[in-house]
Amino acid sequence: MARLRATFWIYVTAWVVMVHLVLLPALYFGMGYVIRESHEDLFIEHARTFSRVLADEFEVGAAMDSQKRIEDLLDFAITHGGARYAELYDRGRSVRSLYGSSDIKEARSTDLRFGEGGDGIYFVVRPIEHAYHRAELRLGFDEQPIQERIQLAFTRMLWLLAGYLAVAIAIAIILSYRLSRPIQRLQAVSRAISSGDYTRALNVNTGIRELHELAADLEAMRHELVGVNVRLQAKIKEKEISEVRREDLQKQLRHRQRLETVGTLASGIAHEINNVLVPIILFTDSALQDLPRSSAPRANLERVLAAARRAKDIVKKILTFSRELGEAKLALIDLREVVAESLHLFSVLAPPTIEIRTEIDESIPLVRADATLASHLLMNLFTNAYQAMEGAKGVLTIGLRYQEGDDDPGIARPGVEFWVRDTGRGMDSATVERIFEPFFTTRSVGQGAGLGLSVVHGIVESFGASITVESKIAVGTTFRIFFPAVARAEVIGDVAAPVV
Amino acid sequence: MQNILVVDDEPDVRDSVKYVLDRAGYSVRTVESAMDAFAELARHPTDLVITDIIMPQINGVEAIESIRKAFPSVRIIAISGGGNFGVAEYHPTAITTTAYLASAEKAGAHLVLTKPFESVELIRSVEQVLGVGHA
Repeated sequence: MARLRATFWIYVTAWVVMVHLVLLPALYFGMGYVIRESHEDLFIEHARTFSRVLADEFEVGAAMDSQKRIEDLLDFAITHGGARYAELYDRGRSVRSLYGSSDIKEARSTDLRFGEGGDGIYFVVRPIEHAYHRAELRLGFDEQPIQERIQLAFTRMLWLLAGYLAVAIAIAIILSYRLSRPIQRLQAVSRAISSGDYTRALNVNTGIRELHELAADLEAMRHELVGVNVRLQAKIKEKEISEVRREDLQKQLRHRQRLETVGTLASGIAHEINNVLVPIILFTDSALQDLPRSSAPRANLERVLAAARRAKDIVKKILTFSRELGEAKLALIDLREVVAESLHLFSVLAPPTIEIRTEIDESIPLVRADATLASHLLMNLFTNAYQAMEGAKGVLTIGLRYQEGDDDPGIARPGVEFWVRDTGRGMDSATVERIFEPFFTTRSVGQGAGLGLSVVHGIVESFGASITVESKIAVGTTFRIFFPAVARAEVIGDVAAPVV
Repeated sequence: MQNILVVDDEPDVRDSVKYVLDRAGYSVRTVESAMDAFAELARHPTDLVITDIIMPQINGVEAIESIRKAFPSVRIIAISGGGNFGVAEYHPTAITTTAYLASAEKAGAHLVLTKPFESVELIRSVEQVLGVGHA
């Protein structure tokens, strides 16, 4: 059976009404009984007292001897005693007051209870001791006024109780409403909390201690939840960051490992090809010396030799990538000079559709690098940039700035940052991932071997510098090379060396 | 006529170097390993050894050291194409051509030559090294 659940105020009001429906009739009838009894008792008391007093009047003096006196006393009973019937019965003779009600034919014997006669008259018969004989005073009192009074009292009581019930219900409604309001607020807030909204504060203003304490407890719980939530979110964020960092490091590691693998393979291949090139070059060379200038195969052999020399160059590039070019002759150099030189060279080669901008800081510390390789590196990057913008207008930005270090060694070290930004085609992430691999190219066949950026990578590594790429399709690409700062003592030592 | 011994595990390299130097008027013999080179040096008077560095069994650097000790008058030219193939052990610190050639120089080679080279370069190097010896 489903249980009926009413709202708080209806519940309380219903209870109040139910209790009163039981209590009020009981009260009504109980009080009615008391009122009726007391009225009746008073009436009977009055009737009997009056009868006794009047009987005493008959007994004292010579009242019984005077007919006039008898009539006067009987009339007095009607006019001032509330009686409607008054008779003196003496030895078969009856005197009745003429003021009495003519409806009553004769008196009854004494009524013991109110309303016993059923005719609305209460009879009292009182003996009168007179000289030698006994007479009887017979009085009939009208019950009607008392009945009316009782009725009126009942009516009044009914109104009173009805008013009381109305007030009680009103109080119940007001009280329960005032009680339920803070409960509803608590409910609203706890609902908000359970749906994940921890921001609503619980400030219930109530004089009820239990509710006040409940609100305080809930508020404390909410604070705890907010705290837990904040801590959890911080933890999740921390975890996300470390996850991202880990992935990033893993990616770098994978990238590095792949480059190393490719490098090892490339240097192996280079060795083999170099060995193969020795007989090709030497024999062809010798054969050319034997042939007369005009001989037909001479041209072919010259092409063989040229091809072999080109192969030699390619191998040299592969070796550069795999750090085989030889240890770079590292010295402290001013990158601004290298940039200026390369830029000058490049501005001759670059098509006029490309605008070159520079963002070069005034003061750049020296970095450890090989000037020749560095300019080779820059030319490769410039060429790459302008090829990315080929056939369209574009902006090539070259930047050089000193980067202050951070106290946290993991975040940023001091050093010099060099960047080349183009407004070219851009690359997708898969291309960016492989961009430094030798022979990886996005250009079509015959436009280049795809060694440029692998050479760049090799040179950067040989400087102990690092290179990163950011690229966005149709927006452009930025290559950043970071040269770690050289310790001051080292700078002084190196600069001082040539002087000594 | 000056005697030259070419040591290389690659027959094509041996033969082509011999061909060029023969034509330049030298007496050239070839062997394919350092072991054979020692035997050959002991048997014939030799003015110059041209040796590869990366070879199986005994590598060029060790061979140079031994030759310098046993035959101090013999001049040596080291040749290498670099790379990391062909050596029994992987030497991460000595994988560059320069590193090989530098260690060859350190071991006592009078001149180092990077493969591949042109006939002219080869002959000039040989003349230089032998010339120094005769000066």
